[in-house]
Amino acid sequence: MAAAATTGMTAAERQKRLELTELLNAKYQWIDRTWDVVFWITAIFIVGGAADITKLLFAGDWDFWTDWKDPQWWPVVTAFATIIIPSALQWIQWVAWRFPTGATYTCTCLFLASWIGRFFQWHIAETYPLNFIWPISTVPAAIILDWILMKTRSFVVTSVVGGVVWAVLVWAFNYIPLAPYLQPAVFMHHILTVSDVQGIAYIRSQTPEYMRHIERGALRSFLGETQYVSLVFGGSLAILGYWIGQLIGRYLAVWPIGKYIKTY
Amino acid sequence: MKRERLPVLAVAVMLLLPMMPRAAAAHGEAADEPFLKDLTVAFYDVNIGPTSVTVGQPVTITGKLTILDTWPYTLDPPQTAYITPVVPGPVFALTDRTINGEPAFGSVEVEKGGTYAFKMVMLARDPGHWHVHPGIAIQGTGTLIGPGLWVDVAPSGQPFVLPVTLLDGRKVNLETLGGNFVWWWSFIGFLIGLVWMIYWTVPKRTVTRLAVTSQLPVNDDAPDIGLITPRDHFWMDVLAGLTILLLVIGWVGMARKYPVRLPQQTDRFEPTSLTPSTHMATVRSSGATFDQSNDTLTINARIHNTSASPITLKSYVMAMTSFVDGPEEELAKAGPADYVGKLSVTPDGAIAPGETRDVTLKMTSEVFEQERLIPLHDPQQLIAGLLRFTDDQGHQDIVTLKSVLVPTEFRPQYLP
Repeated sequence: MAAAATTGMTAAERQKRLELTELLNAKYQWIDRTWDVVFWITAIFIVGGAADITKLLFAGDWDFWTDWKDPQWWPVVTAFATIIIPSALQWIQWVAWRFPTGATYTCTCLFLASWIGRFFQWHIAETYPLNFIWPISTVPAAIILDWILMKTRSFVVTSVVGGVVWAVLVWAFNYIPLAPYLQPAVFMHHILTVSDVQGIAYIRSQTPEYMRHIERGALRSFLGETQYVSLVFGGSLAILGYWIGQLIGRYLAVWPIGKYIKTY
Repeated sequence: MKRERLPVLAVAVMLLLPMMPRAAAAHGEAADEPFLKDLTVAFYDVNIGPTSVTVGQPVTITGKLTILDTWPYTLDPPQTAYITPVVPGPVFALTDRTINGEPAFGSVEVEKGGTYAFKMVMLARDPGHWHVHPGIAIQGTGTLIGPGLWVDVAPSGQPFVLPVTLLDGRKVNLETLGGNFVWWWSFIGFLIGLVWMIYWTVPKRTVTRLAVTSQLPVNDDAPDIGLITPRDHFWMDVLAGLTILLLVIGWVGMARKYPVRLPQQTDRFEPTSLTPSTHMATVRSSGATFDQSNDTLTINARIHNTSASPITLKSYVMAMTSFVDGPEEELAKAGPADYVGKLSVTPDGAIAPGETRDVTLKMTSEVFEQERLIPLHDPQQLIAGLLRFTDDQGHQDIVTLKSVLVPTEFRPQYLP
């Protein structure tokens, strides 16, 4: 593959790439390893915080409560809300280091931030059971998004294909642990899902039931296949969210640094 | 102190800070502006009990509320509402709720002038000293709180269990159902992501790569230079494949274990009205005053008995408070003691059929100040409440009374 990559190059271009190979393997006394450790660890807090805040701003309650994780809204809003920062980091890490890791790094940081927040703030301090307030996981979707970027080397293709795949995978991976809470139960003389029962039993005085934005049934029910329509729409919104993330990554996040980096 | 100990001390202080605040046991009910409480909803006949239980034992809240005709024009008209216990988080678990005798798991449709009798049963979940209120959340307005009572919950020695019956008859404990799986499932996904990150970040350095990538087009992954090698592709294919395999296995397992899954359920209904079509009396206020120096509210009202029997004014209900003209036993039955006071009616006694009488209602209580019920510096200097009448056959009726309020004495205030 390496030979194929250099086919058709001029001698000068080949020479240039040999120099770059040497540059890539150059040894520095301390800055490389130390810098990496400092960078990757400190960035956990910034990236995890940014991703968590973005998720909470756009999809707060849908990510908080099992009785909000519905077929209509949940796949749409979470797909959009969770792809923005991974996309920004994908741009930064790919352009800077050719690491297909931006989404995975963001989502592993988000995993830590979300679970620490839910466990200490909401489970320990507020005593909500974790099985009612668990955060969604976006790590598997992020792995595939990074994989798509690595294979295609194109942000356009990653946004179009990856955006749709993101929406489907974020939903599918988190639908699996949601399933026990979608079982029908008998409660207050009605047939409800277990998640509905959780929402009623664990009192949220300032989040009354009517505030839930969930599928309530309408003429626009698409033959009862709301779930699939929502996934398609969620995929479209994820593409939009991906490009909002690109905007952040390309222009906002690296703008101050870019002033000091020499580019060719 | 040695300077190197300072960071350790700073970290220790940061870790200890979250442990310092005491747990919130009540709700800051006084935060709402007076008009939000006075002109909107009146709670009465509220009973909360027992007030001392152990974890797992039931506490029942009963009472009535009326959505007043005086609902402020500045708020969205009341239409959808959710009657709920107001407690500091899920320290109780709600297991049953009826509104006007009908089971109500969700929100209900309400109307101005409507009266709603509620009953809510909760199981004590967390040990502590908790302030328990009934409340009604109204769409477009927020949660309005009724009178509260302290309930002590003692540990039971056993973990709290919340049994729920599934449709197929199995019983599950809502406290723990599926909890371990949620964590481990998410954690396995996280581990694959962690391996992905370690693969790239530990052996590969960012400093030298930046020097290289800044000289290459964005879509050049430079396998010849060594930025992304065929080996990298192989291992990333493995990890991506593992991720998809995990998803497939999880999905098949889920579909087999939980074959019946429903979307979240929703229903709303309009509770049968308890509001009588005719009233025993018409009332009109000729003004109210509040004396801040002694916490006394005085209301002048003209009452016209429109019924065929003599009627007696028994109580005045405003927001979460009740003021009763009667002996101590009647006060004790009117609701939580902190929200009940004595009502003085002058002239007292029954009003004959067809009679019109000017009366003065006088109430003195610190609850006006504590619950911030009196508008002293507000754009709506108005109060409203319910007058409760009884006739000689024991029938009861409530009639809304709205009054302009004139404060008669102000304490100095140094800020607007």
